[in-house]
Amino acid sequence: MKLKKLSAPVLLLLPAFVVLAAVIVVPLLFSFYSSFTPFRLTKPETLWIFVGLRNYITVLSNWDFWVAFGRTVLLLTVALNTEMLLGLGLALLVNKATHGQRLLRTIMMFPMMFSPVLVGFQFKFMFNDNIGFVNNALQSLGLTDRAIPWLIDGNLAMISIIIAEVWSSTAVFAILILAGLLAMPKDPVEAAHVDGCTPWQTFRYVTWPYLMPFAFIAMTIRSLDVARAYDIVKIMTDGGPAKRTELLWTLIGRTAYADARMGMANAMAYVAILLSIVFTVYFFRKLAAARQQIGAEW
Amino acid sequence: MAPVTLRKLVKRYGALEVVHGIDLEVKDREFIALVGPSGCGKSTTLRMIAGLEDVSGGAIEIGGRAVNDLPPRARNISMVFQSYALYPHMTVAENMGFSLKIAGRSADDIKARVDEAAAILDLGHLLERRPSQLSGGQRQRVAMGRAIVRQPDVFLFDEPLSNLDAKLRTQVRTEIKKLHARMQATMIYVTHDQVEAMTLSDRIVIMRDGHIEQVGTPEEVFQKPKTKFVAGFIGSPPMNMDEAIVDNGQLVFASGVRLPIPPRFAGALRAGQKVTFGLRPDDIYPTGHGLHAGDASAVHEVDLPVTITEPLGNETLVFIQFNGRDWVSRMLNPRPLRSGESVRMSFDLSRAHLFDIDTGKALEG
Repeated sequence: MKLKKLSAPVLLLLPAFVVLAAVIVVPLLFSFYSSFTPFRLTKPETLWIFVGLRNYITVLSNWDFWVAFGRTVLLLTVALNTEMLLGLGLALLVNKATHGQRLLRTIMMFPMMFSPVLVGFQFKFMFNDNIGFVNNALQSLGLTDRAIPWLIDGNLAMISIIIAEVWSSTAVFAILILAGLLAMPKDPVEAAHVDGCTPWQTFRYVTWPYLMPFAFIAMTIRSLDVARAYDIVKIMTDGGPAKRTELLWTLIGRTAYADARMGMANAMAYVAILLSIVFTVYFFRKLAAARQQIGAEW
Repeated sequence: MAPVTLRKLVKRYGALEVVHGIDLEVKDREFIALVGPSGCGKSTTLRMIAGLEDVSGGAIEIGGRAVNDLPPRARNISMVFQSYALYPHMTVAENMGFSLKIAGRSADDIKARVDEAAAILDLGHLLERRPSQLSGGQRQRVAMGRAIVRQPDVFLFDEPLSNLDAKLRTQVRTEIKKLHARMQATMIYVTHDQVEAMTLSDRIVIMRDGHIEQVGTPEEVFQKPKTKFVAGFIGSPPMNMDEAIVDNGQLVFASGVRLPIPPRFAGALRAGQKVTFGLRPDDIYPTGHGLHAGDASAVHEVDLPVTITEPLGNETLVFIQFNGRDWVSRMLNPRPLRSGESVRMSFDLSRAHLFDIDTGKALEG
């Protein structure tokens, strides 16, 4: 009968709090705590040994970690910029289409409908040096007579991953930028034509400032996506060859499950999350500034 | 500065033709208003002159140079849009100086021209604001400033006042008129508001369904409308019109009421001819409350019942029952009238208009 003493609002909110606590707050606190222990999945008793910041010190002084960190930032930078340029191009082209624009929009989104794991398998097959489609095509066209070791050479493997990543997600940019183009008032563009702008100047000074907020929204979404890139890499190279495509989360996944060092992996994960937070804050600042610039009312 | 010539100008959207080969000569430094109801093709015509719409047929010349295939930027024109179309991410000064920046002018030159335009339009204190921080009237002035700074051969206005409230509209209208006097540039002004067209322009072009109905000075289109459409479109309140048959030297209306044939048409009509009779509210008035004496012998007097009155202070619009309809009359030096009261009305038939009932063309008297 103690429950009766709780007021109605508290009582009504309680289920939500309980669920949130059970599925988010408790696991979060637990994983955070475990990052201060030498917890190994194979030795449950290690969960109760508190080692303070030792895991964090190990992580931050681990060269492999920083290489994976740097490579993730590289992937993020190259993939996002490429996707943005391609997405922008696609959006501008589709926007020009007078017929079948809906159909084009749907087709444009196809890559987003595939599971990243399947995309990984597909590109793994395409870039296979012996039986892959890419080498076959290059050789048939007479561009090369060698079998290019796409997934075996470290640099080429990274490029292959970037291509797969770009293929699967350019549509995010294209769709959001197209939404911007469709929402954009036509008059300022016409005013720019009358004011003497060439098509390029019109784009540079009028259209692009309008589209920037949309590009930054796509950037934010995609930076979170790419910062936790795992599936495509896991399938295509599994971090190889010789760790040349190891990213933060493939490293963390390996540490957590292959090496069973859960405490260490959690410490890495908390450092990695900082990366996502930094990028999100950065893009949100840019977004706010861009929105303010165009006087957006949303 | 430059004259603008349209020759057999046609605009088609697919199979649909919306402008049917219009001809127009706009003289250098002339202020021309294109006026007509929505869908008459006036905005399309303006946008073709601007180069924002492709020309489907015919030719456009600005300053004697064919511009059909030139992009807007090569036509040396300025346009003021209905929605202002300011660049939201630029300040007022940047908006106004944008065309000069694109043209590669020096910063000093741009500043001088912007400051000059800002002084003309009283925008000096707003130069660092963004369009989102301005009121509608201010935005409109910035849009005009942007047009002025460019010092174009031709100014194009596309319904620039429609988004303003009535009071501002009158103010900005005056500013546009002053601007024309000052800039000495050719101006083409599109509006659906005949009052704007009348007050601003040297000549008015009245358009309907992609054709030009009449081109003339405000006085001409008001006093000598060439068609029934023009007669009904120009003037506020609009001209009273009704159909009548010529019979025995009189015009007989549907209800049987009769009016004498206006003297100047006396020789031009044959018995049994069907015409549309038109008389402006200014030319019907309670006897003794009219403006013009005109030709006193042509004034016809008749007693008619008052339906309703609309006092405007210096004058009153009096609605009277004539031929089963409400006709509007204008009463100067008004005295109070009651609804239902029978009043002696003067019809100044020397100013009456007659139109052919089939073609709508004005009959010559």
